[in-house]
Amino acid sequence: MACSTAVLSVAEPEAMTLPSIDSDESVAPDTPWKVIVWNDPVNLMSYVTYVFRSHFGFSAEKAQKLMLAVHEEGKAVVFVGSREEAEQHTSAMHGWGLWATFERVQEN
Amino acid sequence: MAEGFRKTPAGYVAHFDPEEIKLLTKLFDDVALTLEPEESDSVDEFERMLGIKTDARPPSDNAVLRMLPIASDDPEVADEFRKFTELNLREQKMSALALASMDVQNQRVVLNEEHAHAWASALNDVRLTLGARLNLATDEDSARIERLYSEPESVEDIAGYMGLLYNFTTWLQDTLMTAMLESLEN
Repeated sequence: MACSTAVLSVAEPEAMTLPSIDSDESVAPDTPWKVIVWNDPVNLMSYVTYVFRSHFGFSAEKAQKLMLAVHEEGKAVVFVGSREEAEQHTSAMHGWGLWATFERVQEN
Repeated sequence: MAEGFRKTPAGYVAHFDPEEIKLLTKLFDDVALTLEPEESDSVDEFERMLGIKTDARPPSDNAVLRMLPIASDDPEVADEFRKFTELNLREQKMSALALASMDVQNQRVVLNEEHAHAWASALNDVRLTLGARLNLATDEDSARIERLYSEPESVEDIAGYMGLLYNFTTWLQDTLMTAMLESLEN
């Protein structure tokens, strides 16, 4: 993620490996899904915060916290729920140009 | 010299000089062109009408792939997602870019919330495209571009010119986002 004054370095997006989706048949069909937003070098911190605020209706504090998690840790989970909703949010994030993926929540 | 966006009672206001208007128009229009569905997408007219893509392969152009990324590391899930969402996303992005391209024909640009949304997304897609052409892979890469190409005099080649455009659109988008965040707070 970029900001207009200073930009910190994190792993390049291509180098990140996504955890694999559990395709095990034994997984209950109602296992929730999650949407992950990944860091990238282009999206501005102000932009990511705005998208989180306006799309998800997050408070300023929560949006800022998630934006910083994307920026500093390379990713953040922004939604957990049904697969259908996870797909809708992923598509909305792509509409905004954020790099989002969705996957089944892993049970430990 | 442009004046970035600020929030006023009339809306979000920015000023551009004629040269900047030309540049922004070209950027918005060029990126919209790259988002035109690829030829193989129009094979099945019925599916196209329903917004379904027959061919679920990811876009071959890196910049377009960045605007329409792979949604899952499970290829089946990713393909299905692309099949049902990609054409709509392309259209949504192209209409935001077209709106921004029309709005920027005046030296004084005034945006309501709807147009500001379109500009935010259009400027982002322009920056994603320039970022892909400049091979920006890490936050350090974008910091380097920001350092290297802050002045027109520093530009000696096409990469430098793209770097300058990237920095200009970064600055412009940041002024818009700051103003839009400010409105959300009120």
